[in-house]
Amino acid sequence: MNYARIWLASARYSITRTLMFRGDFAVWSLVELFWMTTNLVTITVIYDHTSGIANWSKYEMILLVGTAMLIQRFLMGFFWSSIFEMGRNVRSGNFDFFLAQPGNVMFMATTRKIDPDGFVNSLVALAVVVYAAHRLHLHPGVGDCLLYALMVGCGLVIHYSVLVLSVSMVFWITNAQGVEGGYFTLTEFSRLPKQAFGLVTGLIFVWGLPAVVVSNVPASLLLHGFEPRWAVWLAAVAAGWFALAVFVFHRGLRRYTSASS
Amino acid sequence: MFYFLNKYRHAFLVGLQGNLVYRWNFAARGLFSLFHLTAIFILWGAAFQGTPTIGGFGLGATMTYFIALLVLQFFISAFNEDYQISEDIRNGLINQFLLKPINYFGYRLSVFAAARLVSGALVLIPLAVALPFLHSYLTWPHEGWRLALGFPAVVLSALVQFSIAYCFGLLTFWLLEIQGFVILSMAVEAVLGGQMFPLDLLPAPVFHAVKYLPFYYQMYFPAAIFTGRIDLADTESGLCLELAWVLGLLALTELLWRRGLRRHTAVGG
Repeated sequence: MNYARIWLASARYSITRTLMFRGDFAVWSLVELFWMTTNLVTITVIYDHTSGIANWSKYEMILLVGTAMLIQRFLMGFFWSSIFEMGRNVRSGNFDFFLAQPGNVMFMATTRKIDPDGFVNSLVALAVVVYAAHRLHLHPGVGDCLLYALMVGCGLVIHYSVLVLSVSMVFWITNAQGVEGGYFTLTEFSRLPKQAFGLVTGLIFVWGLPAVVVSNVPASLLLHGFEPRWAVWLAAVAAGWFALAVFVFHRGLRRYTSASS
Repeated sequence: MFYFLNKYRHAFLVGLQGNLVYRWNFAARGLFSLFHLTAIFILWGAAFQGTPTIGGFGLGATMTYFIALLVLQFFISAFNEDYQISEDIRNGLINQFLLKPINYFGYRLSVFAAARLVSGALVLIPLAVALPFLHSYLTWPHEGWRLALGFPAVVLSALVQFSIAYCFGLLTFWLLEIQGFVILSMAVEAVLGGQMFPLDLLPAPVFHAVKYLPFYYQMYFPAAIFTGRIDLADTESGLCLELAWVLGLLALTELLWRRGLRRHTAVGG
């Protein structure tokens, strides 16, 4: 309950700050919109020259990409700024600020700021999903929509964990620039249908790393209905990667030696 | 002349040392780029399942294009030069350059060259490791003129990349925060620079229009020369346009620098 109050206070602060820099808010909203457009243009151009990608039609792919974007926009909205700054704060010693607070360090460091532009663009991503579903003549029920939301939530946990894991490397290598890119590299796979993966790449990216299930499972729910096996797998992957992120973060924390680290 | 250039040689060497400190970051970036390449292989491999050619090129030629693009990216792309210039201006570090007989553009260009030398060399390591898996896809054209004209195109592309980053950095004279604009431009560059797909896959009128933009010359143009996606006539006319863009962008950097300095206030010692 206390943490919810802390988070609400941080959210209020972030929104007030955003309102102070409205031009900045507009620019960052455009940034995310442009990147989403980039992905959609790519799909459109490829489908101008081919009829299918791993037997997925154009609008099935757009639904998949829309789902991947939706999860990523939520991550951008809720956590990106805080986790991104964490890397720089560890390097500069400003991370002391979070250690001095009476609460869980990982919670404090990764939830301090929210980015309303991420939320604005999550509406755009959701519109992409709805548009693709409309073009595919899909009519999901309320239960399907709730399950979809739940799976998107699991996806958010996975993205959060992967990003925390990437940035936590800063405790060992001092400068996480470039390493943060690991997160973006991994999310590239979430825009691909799992049928496109071969044996080895499937073992790595579908079963080993959480890159593919994160978007494929919710998208498949809308396209083909509920598959309990995949839903359980998604939930297990979310729990497992979150536990790993917590473990690595706290291991890294032991190495932190303030401004001189 | 050599004495004049000597200070930039030192800036280059200091830049080399500075970037070697972060060699693990570049190495990690190089390693992640292999994952990026894997994602491209999977996507385009699946796209080619139903058709032998896309845009007149087979799977091998398309993969060769993306591999060439990756190598070029590490050798000529501006990674965070705009951010460094912005920080120099915001924190007042630029003041030291105003008092010394050194050209800030020349200094930054020397550091940029050093940084790309390090990152370019480091990306070759993971690529060499991946070569046994990649070599069956590589299909290079054999015309000699592609090398003769491709390397000047690479040098000019590096200048286009650096000049654009430099201009964005100089915007800090007017704006407090430029990162939003930089990442916004990165999204545009990703599409119009051919990083997402070869530009020749665009509808013909769009492709023709894109040739006149500087983004075309950031990555696509040299990669297309080396991988056989454009012919000699297009390469020659492209080189002329690329040179025009370089000169235009250099003029813009000078204009922004002069105008920006008029607004700049140096405080403290």
